[in-house]
Amino acid sequence: MHNNIWSTIFDPGTFSQMLRSATPVALAALGGLMTEHAGIMNIGMDGMILMGAFVAAVGSYFCASAAMGILAAMLFGILIGLFFALFTVKLKSDEFIIGCALNTFALGVTAFLSREIFGLSGTSGYAVPSLPNVTIPLIDRIPFVGKVLSGHSIFVYVTWLLVFLMWLFVYRTPMGLWIRASGESPETLRTVGKNPERMKWIASILCGVFCGLAGAHLSLGYLNGSFVEGMSASRGYIAFACVIFAAANPPRAYIAALMFGFFDALGLRLQSYVSSDLTGTIPYLITIIMMVYVVVSRQKRRERLAKQQLQRLEP
Amino acid sequence: MEDEIRFSHISMEFPGVLANDDISLSIRRGEVFALVGENGAGKSTLMNILYGINEPTAGELFVRGQKVTAFNPRAAIDRGIGMVHQHFMLVPSFTVAQNIVLGQEPRKAGALFDNRKAEQLTRQLVAEYGLEVDPTAEVRDISVGLQQRVEILKTLYRGAEILILDEPTAVLTPQETDELFEVIRSIVREKNMTVIIITHKLYEVMAISDRVGVMRAGKLIGVKNTAEVDEHILASMMVGRPVLFDHLDKIGEPGAVAIEVKDLFVADNRGLPAVRGASFAVRKGEVLGIAAIEGNGQSELLEAITGLRKIERGTVTVCGQNAVGKTPGEIRAMGVSHVPEDRLSTGVDKVASVADNLLTGRQREKRFNRFGFHQRRSTIDRYAQELYEKFDIRGAGIHIPVGSMSGGNMQKVVVAREFTFDSPALVISQPTRGVDIGAMEFFHTRIIERRNAGAAILLSSADLDEVFRLSDRIITLYEGRVTGEFRADAITKEEIGFYMTGARKEAEQ
Amino acid sequence: MKKQRFDYGYILTLLISLVVALLIGAGILALTGHNPLVAYRALLGGAFSNARHIGDMLEYAMVLCLCGLACDIGSRVGIFNVGGEGQLLLGAIFAAQIGVWLKALSPWLAIPAAALGAMIVGGFYAWIPGVLKVKLKVNEVITTIMLNTVAVFLCQFLAKGPWKNTNKNIVAGTGNLPGSFWLKKLVPGSNLSTAIIAAAVITFLVWYILQKTSKGYEMRLTGDNPRFAKYAGMKTERIVLITMVISGMMCGLVGMFRVYGAEHIYKSTVSNEYYFEGLMVAMIAQYAPLPTIVISLIFAILKIGAMGMETAAGVPKQLYLIIQTIVIFCMAAETGIRAAIARNRERRAAKQDVKARKEGGNEHA
Repeated sequence: MHNNIWSTIFDPGTFSQMLRSATPVALAALGGLMTEHAGIMNIGMDGMILMGAFVAAVGSYFCASAAMGILAAMLFGILIGLFFALFTVKLKSDEFIIGCALNTFALGVTAFLSREIFGLSGTSGYAVPSLPNVTIPLIDRIPFVGKVLSGHSIFVYVTWLLVFLMWLFVYRTPMGLWIRASGESPETLRTVGKNPERMKWIASILCGVFCGLAGAHLSLGYLNGSFVEGMSASRGYIAFACVIFAAANPPRAYIAALMFGFFDALGLRLQSYVSSDLTGTIPYLITIIMMVYVVVSRQKRRERLAKQQLQRLEP
Repeated sequence: MEDEIRFSHISMEFPGVLANDDISLSIRRGEVFALVGENGAGKSTLMNILYGINEPTAGELFVRGQKVTAFNPRAAIDRGIGMVHQHFMLVPSFTVAQNIVLGQEPRKAGALFDNRKAEQLTRQLVAEYGLEVDPTAEVRDISVGLQQRVEILKTLYRGAEILILDEPTAVLTPQETDELFEVIRSIVREKNMTVIIITHKLYEVMAISDRVGVMRAGKLIGVKNTAEVDEHILASMMVGRPVLFDHLDKIGEPGAVAIEVKDLFVADNRGLPAVRGASFAVRKGEVLGIAAIEGNGQSELLEAITGLRKIERGTVTVCGQNAVGKTPGEIRAMGVSHVPEDRLSTGVDKVASVADNLLTGRQREKRFNRFGFHQRRSTIDRYAQELYEKFDIRGAGIHIPVGSMSGGNMQKVVVAREFTFDSPALVISQPTRGVDIGAMEFFHTRIIERRNAGAAILLSSADLDEVFRLSDRIITLYEGRVTGEFRADAITKEEIGFYMTGARKEAEQ
Repeated sequence: MKKQRFDYGYILTLLISLVVALLIGAGILALTGHNPLVAYRALLGGAFSNARHIGDMLEYAMVLCLCGLACDIGSRVGIFNVGGEGQLLLGAIFAAQIGVWLKALSPWLAIPAAALGAMIVGGFYAWIPGVLKVKLKVNEVITTIMLNTVAVFLCQFLAKGPWKNTNKNIVAGTGNLPGSFWLKKLVPGSNLSTAIIAAAVITFLVWYILQKTSKGYEMRLTGDNPRFAKYAGMKTERIVLITMVISGMMCGLVGMFRVYGAEHIYKSTVSNEYYFEGLMVAMIAQYAPLPTIVISLIFAILKIGAMGMETAAGVPKQLYLIIQTIVIFCMAAETGIRAAIARNRERRAAKQDVKARKEGGNEHA
């Protein structure tokens, strides 16, 4: 029996599924970490993803080209990012209210338009061009590893590249520094002559684009060319949790997404042993524990610094 | 000598506050100019104008003879002005090198930030100016003294020729202060830089500056050559308002001890010791005044006594009861009322009505509640109206939010509330800050009334005249320690300035 | 606060936002080839045409109003309960299961026991983020969002696993409640039950406590300025924590109402993110009780009406979500623009003030 569990867990299928599940979350998280760095609490990602998925499906269907669908989702992402920044940055509205409203708006508008365009049963029965799966030569021959890494939607591989590029952008470009400074200490940025508001706009637009991509992947890659109402299925919240978990570091956010993907895959594969609903709670609980840990360790750090100061003051 | 900077009739008004009032001042190249004044005197505002953070509402600014038209930090940096703010402008999670180059980063491959080059440039600066600091350390992990060096290096990296230091020693240990002064002297001597230092520590003015300007309540009171003045002259220029008051009748003899503080230690917000072993007692029917220059622990002391701040060590006894480790509510119940230093953040609820603010602390009293929970609004309004008239509060009635009133009337709301508790002990901080002369007289009369009625009053004020006028006894506080205790009628302001700036005296019997 | 003074600016903003949202909705309808007038008439008809619809509408308004009020009281003391959905679901499933356990008992014992159980569970589930916020300053918005998802999973687990209905056709749901436990329907065939009477009492109590009692006064001051409240002797941390727990208890009770009044077993239709709609109601109401009641009704009319509109005029019902959110965007935009104008005006006024003073000074000289 035990043998059986372990062989089910360490089946290549588990890890292949982990990659599949992690990718849309990771893409959105890459966007979310931009707004997080810029000091905007963005819980509207779920809506951004959902609208991205819809626009991608519509674009792909009407242009008869998956590439056009992706492009449409990215362009739309820019618009959504602008809209989000207009409220949160320019009008200084409550980020939470706007995020909440954006999610509900997305739910409503995509369902409404989907029914108007495709009818009650969504895109099933319509030919929405999707993205092909990619087999990596050579690697696919390696036992186990080949089954895990090869044969995914192209987005899975693009995400790896994007994680690296985002890491480069955030930590190794001047603008990355400015965006981080705009969230952590906007007045500092202002005193060195850069406009923190502008950085927040840029972060917000980037977030929109990444969420658009995540959505495009959902409808054109993950589900092979279909739009389903509410298909973002709380992935925006999961991505948000990843960002918090990873302290907005791109590779770490990807690892967090893999963790979610792993528990997702595990839940599916272990259904006969443990309820997938129970395994599903684990990543969220870990995120809460992480938050508590971060707060406590920050307090510890402050106390330690004060103690050092004290010793220097009164030797 | 040529004028490096010239302020010409500069005024700066924020909503409701005239922070700078028609200031004209010239600063020369290659000098260390000290700008002194109490908190809120307008020093930082004036320097923020020079650094382009604020655009003055009136007046002109010239740098090296050129009229300044663009007020933003970028343009100021281009004019060779660098500023080290009181609250450091650093990104905590960035490394020292990243903070130094922020905004003007060295690049590689066209678009990438060259971290190694940044660290190398930092090392060069460190070597050139002798400001030792590790370029790869994260700023949040280094001490405030080092953080300040990073700030100075940051301005030097940007090619500053004029360096503004806003309260640079407030967070430094004595050794660090000495090191900082050494740095200032060397950059002035070797690089012919101009340094402006904002401070309220007068011995530092004497130690480092060539000339000194004194500000008070938004106005520039005077500019002197440091060699021609001493600390006491500066102190008398800084504090006090040039008004003559009627005599206040103090009657009665002091009674039993109401507040007793023994060997008290209290930390400030950064965890550093602000009060270090203070001991004193306040008797019923007397006013004990605290004379101290801003930032010597008086704020933390009063917060600790009233339960708003943790006591690290020592004892506080109120009317015979232990007050250590008690909540503000419990200490109030022992018989302490408190007029806090910052009325906006602590003394009122800005959005609540005047009536609600006057009620606070009495909301559970029987007469204001039917069945113990249902508020009797009409009784409350009547009570509020009574206080409103009794304390001569002037505004649009008791139903408007307190936040919409002037500072003086807001303070009257606080005083009306706290003074009507008839508590045996009163802790009062800055009773007339930001209040006009007429209202000031009103507050003074009220305080003496409470004293004559037998209350023990502990008073702290930045205004030395006020301390002298109201107090029976005065203690001086310097760096968290009591440096002297005097009868108010047995010492002069000049003498007391001596103890406020560090001299020690055994307590008079 | 003697008289609850009417804020005309707020009412005007709300009305304008509603009108703008309806106009944009009409634009969308026209663009997608519907006649807006026909659609809106169908919407009103959907909400009011027969007693069953009115009953459903009132039941939904009750849910929104209680959820909105739960959010109101939290924000009154400065804590934002986003976790109501989880508290609601857990309250619902525990209430349902308590009913199954106590099948043999009299409804007079079982129903209060279920209500109490739902409140305890909901309260506990709010206490967790509350204590993390008060003691450690962990952001309650994020923790409650996480806990919502955890609750959704937990309820699914219970409804599919240990507490599953014996009927194989029900994939995820608890056992059937005995008919005697069902709350009496006020309108036959609708969801409206006697629960609304309890809800009305709770609504009144919340309004009464917040506006009329010394406790409400202390809550208000704590939310406005916690430092001042502490200085004035209030136990602010305790006030915040207790309020959060009460907010959770209210949400748990809403779950119980949904099960005993409408669904009669726990299943996923007990709440479809209803708390979030209640949250939006509270936001639009700017966390004040009276507007929360009114806006709950408006939103309930929109939602139930939209269902009727779907059948009568062939317009997808999701239009109501679009209209709701546009109201929020409009109100946020209006507030933001007004604040920006005020900032500008202040700056300009300050400038003129100094100028005037200077000129005045010159005349003297």
